[in-house]
Amino acid sequence: MASVSSHRQDNQSVYVLHTYPFKETSLVVELFSREFGRVATTAKGARRPRSAMRGMLQAFQPMLATWSGKLELKTLHGLEWNGCLLLLQGEALMCGFYLNELLLRLLPREDPHEALFAYYADTLKALASEQHLATTLRRFELKFLQELGYAIPLQQDANNAPILMQQHYRYEAEHGAYPIRGTLARYENGVQLSGKTLIDMLNDDYSDEQTQQQSKQLMRYLLAHYLGDKPLHTRQLLIELQGY
Amino acid sequence: MKNPPALEQLIDSLRCLPGVGPKSAQRMAYYLLQRDRQGASGLALSLNNALQVVDHCKLCNTFSEQAICPLCESAQRDKTVLCVVEMPTDLIMLENTRAYTGMYFVLMGRLSPLDGIGPKEIHLDKLIKRANDGIVTEVILATNYTVEGDATAHYISELLRARGIKVSRIARGMPMGGEIEYVDTGTLAQAMLERRSVFK
Ligand SMILES: [Zn+2]
Repeated sequence: MASVSSHRQDNQSVYVLHTYPFKETSLVVELFSREFGRVATTAKGARRPRSAMRGMLQAFQPMLATWSGKLELKTLHGLEWNGCLLLLQGEALMCGFYLNELLLRLLPREDPHEALFAYYADTLKALASEQHLATTLRRFELKFLQELGYAIPLQQDANNAPILMQQHYRYEAEHGAYPIRGTLARYENGVQLSGKTLIDMLNDDYSDEQTQQQSKQLMRYLLAHYLGDKPLHTRQLLIELQGY
Repeated sequence: MKNPPALEQLIDSLRCLPGVGPKSAQRMAYYLLQRDRQGASGLALSLNNALQVVDHCKLCNTFSEQAICPLCESAQRDKTVLCVVEMPTDLIMLENTRAYTGMYFVLMGRLSPLDGIGPKEIHLDKLIKRANDGIVTEVILATNYTVEGDATAHYISELLRARGIKVSRIARGMPMGGEIEYVDTGTLAQAMLERRSVFK
């Protein structure tokens, strides 16, 4: 429990999102904590060869962390394993990096999101099982944006009329779906998709191939909208690797 | 009170070292000029010299003064196996084991998706060309067992397998002389997951 004087937090459920060098021998460790959301800490001396912390600073593993401090950058005192080891391999591992990059980019620091934390943990388990990676990512992306408070209306169109299975729509960020009347045209803004895709997404059903395609385009468009001009490194890396 | 321009410039230059901020850079510069002028001039000379003569080996990509480094040039090495490591220090560690007699390729880094370090930075082009020389039959991936090292190993193995090259990954598990009581939980869990049968 928190003591007021040192602002110490003991044995908090966390995942390591990312680490990067800090001063000569230390690291900044970005944590995702169940109770506190995203927390930035420093691990003093963690880059020294014999550091006890060194081997523990691995992403995608459930851990218990102890830190203190009241500034934005806390001091990390310890990390312990908490639960079974998760083995992300190959493409699933890259999906894991992608989740972490989304959290680092869009989740503000020290804004608790307990439901998102639980969902992140479940998503990692789903990735470790290496089945339906794309569907796992779509579910997470949608849940993530909704948890952050962005409205992604799937039940009604922008005029508050119910979404119709057979209708074509143009989906626009911040607004929702606009029915397309008459001939299909290319629009500057938004993504064109069928009502069925939105209904499938609402029902968490990604079995249909067109739904997979269109939900991917929709989520990519919405994420790009909220991420702004700076593209995701993980996506860039996958594009570059396809060139080999 | 400001430092003279040449000193300011030195402090600025020292900041290109990793983890060195303005304060440490100033401390270093004062030390070099005040306490160890001889060491400082040696540093200047060797830095300048290294910049001029050290490049990357055309074959293994490690630091070398020759176009082809002595290890790649050696007739004693098994040219059919190629071991991929992240850094020159990893190569030296593996050499110390004397358990490996093949060739090397040094990536000079690892894929790090969140830092934007991609295939160009780890010289994937050069590695693919090297592994495709017609002599190499097996590539051993000895990248670190970190999430980045694993991702690096995964993508290299995909690319090489697609080109018909046999790829393996160095094993991990219990340390030599390791006692279960004192081994960290992650290593122990890995060792259990990647157990192997005991042959008589
Ligand atoms: Zn060489």
